[in-house]
Amino acid sequence: MGMARKFRDELRKLEKSVHAMGTKAACMLHDSVAALKEKDSGLARDVIKRDEGIDELDDDIEDNALKLIALYQPMAGDMRTVAVSLKMITYITRVGKYAKDISNHVLDLNGSARPRNAGTLLRMEAKVSAMIADALDAYKTRDISKLSSFGARDDEVDALFDGLFKECDAATARGEITPSCHLDYVMIARYLERCGDHACKMAEKVHYMVTGERISIQ
Amino acid sequence: MRMGEIVMRCKGLNLWYGKNQALKDISLEVPKNKVTALIGPSGCGKSTLIRVFNRMNDLVDGVRITGEATFCGCDIYAPGADPTEIRTRIGMIFQKPNPFPMSVYENVAYGLRVHGERDRKNLDRAVEESLKAAALWDEVKDRLSEQAGGLSGGQQQRLCVARALAVQPEVILMDEPTSALDPIATSKIEDLVYQLKKKYTVVIVTHNMQQAARVSDYTGFMYLGKLVEFGETGHLFKAPKEELTERYITGTFG
Repeated sequence: MGMARKFRDELRKLEKSVHAMGTKAACMLHDSVAALKEKDSGLARDVIKRDEGIDELDDDIEDNALKLIALYQPMAGDMRTVAVSLKMITYITRVGKYAKDISNHVLDLNGSARPRNAGTLLRMEAKVSAMIADALDAYKTRDISKLSSFGARDDEVDALFDGLFKECDAATARGEITPSCHLDYVMIARYLERCGDHACKMAEKVHYMVTGERISIQ
Repeated sequence: MRMGEIVMRCKGLNLWYGKNQALKDISLEVPKNKVTALIGPSGCGKSTLIRVFNRMNDLVDGVRITGEATFCGCDIYAPGADPTEIRTRIGMIFQKPNPFPMSVYENVAYGLRVHGERDRKNLDRAVEESLKAAALWDEVKDRLSEQAGGLSGGQQQRLCVARALAVQPEVILMDEPTSALDPIATSKIEDLVYQLKKKYTVVIVTHNMQQAARVSDYTGFMYLGKLVEFGETGHLFKAPKEELTERYITGTFG
């Protein structure tokens, strides 16, 4: 097999592993909020355990990407793919960490009396997970058509976060939730909001990888 | 793309070796005090193109050129243009080091002697300055009277650079200057190219893409006698505009 062909195969393998890692982290994020909805502390603990796997993938994929650089000195579109893959795994690792942090708050919440309704958090998670999935899809397929909506979608997530903040303030004032619950809710919402920002960064990088042009998603 | 002052230019340039057209409608501007790299597969015309600038193709039978080629605004192929003067102002370094079969000192002094310099002090000074500018002085200052052929390949190549610099050119053309050298000697030549652009304009033909990316400010990609793409080196290697360039530099050609 020729070297160019071998490099191409290795590059495809790298892309697949980044996509798979992203899917794992997105699944953790979904499960962390599902653990709240279902009051499933076992699931929350499982998410926390899965974070180690994300760290391992981060190291493995970084090693593989560096090996490709050292052996093949990729150029142009190939170079952008390797460089963006390295950035992607950093953002993905952050999503995994936030899923773990959310799960820790969920364990707190599940151990205390609290209102059952976590509707805003669920809506935030659904929007953020869809953004992460779309960014990963664009990375895999190089179809960037869905990325243009990310600015507006991130605004929606931010608006939900602001709304939840006010809801929690009011609920605390009425004595419906304890200050500790208040903190758990707000922190979870904050982590989801940050995951939305990371999805936007992924989208920016994928856009650069595909087109060679930088965009800024505000 | 802002390139500053342009020192050499060609416009609508065509060149034939007999019936075979080697350059097709080339338009290119070479900016002053910058390094311009030309890349492309063997036979794409990049060596032929740099040879247009110092009339080295004159030495080949059956060459025919149409279009414009200018140096500092003057037509390089004007009827009255003196090839020797052009080659003094536009020096050249070749793929294989080609020192003359004489001493290190005489190699560097040769061009000056041809131009009538007889004063020993002037020659001494020019030889020392040129060897220093070529980053070779420290290695050969005690071996000036030795035969140049006894130097290592990398030293011989830097000697050729010193020989070109001695006659105070404005432009230095380099045709794959490191393809016959080991990585250490290659690295020295690359450092040298970087130093040279402070005083000179450099055009370098190379097959080593990383080398072009490292040393040059602008890069042109040539294919089948045409200049496919020309642009800032960083841009061309990170995000080329042309599909053909992308395919060549990522190794997915053909």
